[in-house]
Amino acid sequence: MANQLPLKGVRVVNFGWVWAGPVVGQTLGFLGAEVLKIESAARVDMTRNLPPFADGIPGPDRSLSNHACWAGNGSVSLNLKEPEALELALRLIATADVVVENFGPGVMERLGLGYERLREVKEDIILFSMPAAGLYGPLEHVRTYGLSLTSLTGLDSLVGYKGGEPVPVENAFSDPYAGIFGAFAVLAALNHRRNTGIGQHVDFSQQEAVMQMVAPAWMDYALNGRSGGPKSNEHPTAAAAPHGVFPCRGDDRWISIAVCRDEEWQGLVAAMDNPDWAATPAFATLPARVAAIDQLHEHIAQWTHEFDDRELAARLQEHGVAAAPVLNVGDLLHDPHYCARDTFVEVTHPLGFRETIYGAYVKTSRTRPDIRPGPVVGQDNERVFRTLLGIPEAEYERLKRDRIIY
Amino acid sequence: MTPTISAAPRGALAGIRVIDFGQMVSAPYCAKLFSDYGADVIKVELPEGDAARAAGPFPRDVPHPEKSGLYFFHNTNKRGITCDVAHPEGRRLFLRLLERSDVLIENNLPQRMRAWGLDYATLAEINPDLVVISITPFGQTGPYSGWNGYDLNAFHLSGASSRYCGRPGETPLEHGTFAADYFGAVTAAAWGLAAVYGRELAGGGQQVDVSCAEAIAAAFVGGQNIGCYAQEGRFDKRTGVGMPLGAPATILPCRDGHVWMLALEPGQWNGLRKVMDDPDWASLEMFQDMYSRAQNADVIYGFIREWTMQHGKMEIMEKCQAAGCPVTAVFTIAEAAAQPHLQAREYFVDMEHPQLGRLKNLGAPFKLPACPGGPERPAPLLGQHNAEVYRELLDLSAADVRRLAQCNVI
Repeated sequence: MANQLPLKGVRVVNFGWVWAGPVVGQTLGFLGAEVLKIESAARVDMTRNLPPFADGIPGPDRSLSNHACWAGNGSVSLNLKEPEALELALRLIATADVVVENFGPGVMERLGLGYERLREVKEDIILFSMPAAGLYGPLEHVRTYGLSLTSLTGLDSLVGYKGGEPVPVENAFSDPYAGIFGAFAVLAALNHRRNTGIGQHVDFSQQEAVMQMVAPAWMDYALNGRSGGPKSNEHPTAAAAPHGVFPCRGDDRWISIAVCRDEEWQGLVAAMDNPDWAATPAFATLPARVAAIDQLHEHIAQWTHEFDDRELAARLQEHGVAAAPVLNVGDLLHDPHYCARDTFVEVTHPLGFRETIYGAYVKTSRTRPDIRPGPVVGQDNERVFRTLLGIPEAEYERLKRDRIIY
Repeated sequence: MTPTISAAPRGALAGIRVIDFGQMVSAPYCAKLFSDYGADVIKVELPEGDAARAAGPFPRDVPHPEKSGLYFFHNTNKRGITCDVAHPEGRRLFLRLLERSDVLIENNLPQRMRAWGLDYATLAEINPDLVVISITPFGQTGPYSGWNGYDLNAFHLSGASSRYCGRPGETPLEHGTFAADYFGAVTAAAWGLAAVYGRELAGGGQQVDVSCAEAIAAAFVGGQNIGCYAQEGRFDKRTGVGMPLGAPATILPCRDGHVWMLALEPGQWNGLRKVMDDPDWASLEMFQDMYSRAQNADVIYGFIREWTMQHGKMEIMEKCQAAGCPVTAVFTIAEAAAQPHLQAREYFVDMEHPQLGRLKNLGAPFKLPACPGGPERPAPLLGQHNAEVYRELLDLSAADVRRLAQCNVI
């Protein structure tokens, strides 16, 4: 059958919680996998209770951010403290290709869901684990928030104003990053299983995956022994100038401008109507501009601050200069580019309300996913337990009554 | 059933051939994820070479096209050839390579690919099974798709800096690295590999159009903010502290650098109090929950800073972690490189490069016990594998390759 989503037929059981683990499921789900998140009303994920809620009414099935970040996942409810629930989880895993989890090391074993146990029910299962610092090593039990995990990679030491102290990034960039990256790791393991018939337990250390982002600074350390520090928005390897964010007219309006090549510099100078300062030898070559970057940026900021950010970006682009407005959250929803690409979509939740989440942020030419909001707790119970596992109706009702399926 | 075990250990992506026609970071890093996990990746460079070769960092800051750290990092395990696709014969060779490949990964601006006659429609006609992964700042469609742009422009178009990084009223900040390129690269790797894995189900190859700006705007910024803005018409901006609604949750200076100071839940806060020897101020009414502590942030951060300034980052981290408090040291690059944890996990690998000599590199980003990945062979010199690849894939003789080199086609 042509034009199916590429991962159709792959089943993923997802024990992931909060953000990174659910994003692994989301990525595979957007690509066609059937993803079943295991959760329970006995211990509701904290992100289900993050405001704001749909129509302002609190409830674990009404958190707007949860619906966006968990879209693509289905949901099966099992209270894993109950031995019968554990057995049901294992029966479900026996039908699955991949199990995903982002607990600390050892938690799956304590739940009775360690890799060896999973292999007993499904020999070629792929278990994907993504603890903060990996499954073993002196820091295996390190406590971090997604927010601060990056401090262990060196990345946080590079963020801030030039010459100043590190400025914290105020949310866990590493969570969706590691979540999407994790989906690649799962796919690599699936490909290996297809080639060899062998499953495996993937050890995905978020620290190690995210640390690759410091490569430019890492290489300066490896080659020159230097340990970089904050330098505002300057080019990571000092290979471009100007390279920064400059003020525009209005409250908190800015434009980003990056000049890597001489033609772009000439375009910028022309767009500025050939000011005298730009004609001096101090700015004639890229190495000269890099050496005089503070002075260069001051000149440009004096020029940009009178302009509207979008008008200036359009004008600079006409001159071949890489420039774009700095958007705030309010700008995103109505930005013509994101509108044209359906980056954000309004959807109807099964409970009846309309809400806005993000859609397929990658455009694939052959098949496009159907994006629905993150799941209602237990929305796939009936199909999974009755149809897939063949549990008779009376037994199913008992399991619900006894808060096994819960 | 016992699965059949293949004779030789092979990478997870063995059997997949990739043409990397990228420059700088996004496409090369995406292709490195393929090559480091076992795909046969051929890096195709224009005769002047990948722009990363001119971007450094260089030993002692002396530019040299075979000594760029950026190029070294992002092109491990690849074979390298040159091809001038602007020359008709070069273009023909490039298309013949694509006929024999599974994946093309590229990050040229769309107008540049069109000018070369290498738009997706042309490529799909040559090889309908080809998966074309295009990673650009803005994407292949939409009003900004014709814009010039780099990592910096993409990042700041995503909403991430305005919302999450920098002090209020001051310049919004990126991460001090190519954050948008990396986000686009891993996104492209996941979606692109799925397109290869499910090629039969999908009915053939396809174009995978990744906009670095859009991926971050959606999966990072949008996820937590867009529903709120659409429903309530309000949105937040950067504050310059780690977490404005709870405290302590920010980076603070200490005797030898900085720590990420986090003690939100009661158990964590009590742990921190214990580590600080339970100072008198900590029992004040206004510090008894994370919200009231945040309302009195200036006061409490002043108090905690007095304590952190008397201690080293490793001592603070170790004592706090032992007390159940998720405080971590803000490692410099040198400190990150010296971590016993990462050494115990063999994250670092020594590599030998013909021009750079022996150097310490970051290893595999994740561990696949059944088919380990990671960099083994150094990035290729410019055109290093011309003879080998053109012979093996296109059956060109040594004389053919010499002639093409003389006409500056390769």
